[in-house]
Amino acid sequence: MGKLLSSPKLLVIAIAAVAALLVSVAGGALGASFGLGFLGGPIPFISIPAERVAFIGSYPLLNSTIMFWVGGLVLLFVAWRAGRNVKDVPSGWQNLMEMIYEFFSNTVDGVAGGEPKSGRRFLALVSTIFLVVMIINWVGILPGVGSIGRIETIEEWVHHHVEDLEAEVHEEHPDYSPKQVHSIALIHLLEEHGDDTFVAFDGVFVWLGQGEQARVPLRHIVTFEDHELHDLADEVKHGEDISHDPVWERIEHDIHEGVVKEAFTYDLGGPSQTPYDFKGQTAGLLVPYLRGASTDVNTTLAIAIVAMLTVQIWGFRALGVRGYGGKFLVNPISQGPIATFVGVLEGFGELTRTISFTFRLFGNMFAGEILLIAMAFLLPLIGIIPFMGLELFVGVIQAYIFAMLTLVFGVMAVASHGDHDSHAEEH
Amino acid sequence: MEADAVKPLAAAIAIGFGALGPGLGIGLLAGKAMEALGRNPEATGPVQQNMILALAFAEAIAIYALVVAIIILFV
Repeated sequence: MGKLLSSPKLLVIAIAAVAALLVSVAGGALGASFGLGFLGGPIPFISIPAERVAFIGSYPLLNSTIMFWVGGLVLLFVAWRAGRNVKDVPSGWQNLMEMIYEFFSNTVDGVAGGEPKSGRRFLALVSTIFLVVMIINWVGILPGVGSIGRIETIEEWVHHHVEDLEAEVHEEHPDYSPKQVHSIALIHLLEEHGDDTFVAFDGVFVWLGQGEQARVPLRHIVTFEDHELHDLADEVKHGEDISHDPVWERIEHDIHEGVVKEAFTYDLGGPSQTPYDFKGQTAGLLVPYLRGASTDVNTTLAIAIVAMLTVQIWGFRALGVRGYGGKFLVNPISQGPIATFVGVLEGFGELTRTISFTFRLFGNMFAGEILLIAMAFLLPLIGIIPFMGLELFVGVIQAYIFAMLTLVFGVMAVASHGDHDSHAEEH
Repeated sequence: MEADAVKPLAAAIAIGFGALGPGLGIGLLAGKAMEALGRNPEATGPVQQNMILALAFAEAIAIYALVVAIIILFV
């Protein structure tokens, strides 16, 4: 403490840090209940599937795909820098890559039996998985990923959801005409999602300081009463044409316009209840341009499938079709039914390993993303920094686990069944 | 009870019980690792490395529960 007071530089830094912390507490959701909250924004819509950003021809380009390519480019760049000017005494990038190579070379040999080069066949895939997963985890938490995007309007959102519902309605009532199906689907959508909230935008930006109050339920954007919907649904069911019904026209107009119709504030408690009036502002959802590739279950499933398929290939190559296949398909007459059952279980084990690979990585990274969003909401500016560090750590740990498990499963696959059998005979 | 009212409750129960087991597991794991370190401080490197690896396994189980909770809440 004495040292801190004697050095003016340290003192200034300490005061600045405390001030930033206070600003962050007061500006976030915590401060909002005391009438401050000048930095708070609404929590963005959390979507488990990755969002479509654009179409290339008929191929939907997902925002997580873009981040995977970015991760690939980063890896290519590092490899290019490291291999551009190879020297006997490594330095810089080459040193880094050699360090990683050496670490994995030693690890695979250690796990695969301890002798030099005993793990050579595993090295390529294991180190590739580590590097790819680590880089996509890290580029996924860069600032701007998940927070910059375009606004999905109410009209797009409704269109998107009605399409899904139309299939259901059509299945239930196959005798309806397409127009009837569409109307019923839209009515169902409004009934079910009337309380879903959308963010009110002032043009392009979500201004800071509005907090959760900037979220407006669908009911206040598209005005309708429940009994009106019931009447409309009845009319449609009787085959009447409702496209000129004033209520229907109003609903369609509201959906097309997509602006907040009624003044609305969330009752959050505290003194900052009614400072904003979002009437007339555009409402919609944020569709980020970029999203961390490992927060999309497709990416992690793809990597898991590659890893587990390669494990099977290693097994077949090391033990042959009879040797490796014999682990899963055991003759019940010569070996007994229990051994057969265990073999089948082992086969299912390979499947569950794929699934647990998928959800371990996806769950960790997706939870991390939500954690960052929640912290940015609760304690903007400062609160997010330690969690960024945590996410960097989690990213590298998860990559390491993915790679190590692939290695361990591979070593188990190439180990011959001999030890087991001799055991069984002794008993 | 209505489905909307049960949803948060279901998610809370899922993550609550889902975190219970891994929490115990992580506690046991770290405790045993500390014990091992106390007995044999030279082995800090490998013990720590294996501990972090095993911690991540235990944590992954809580993450499964979290995924279930998120799916209940948002899907």
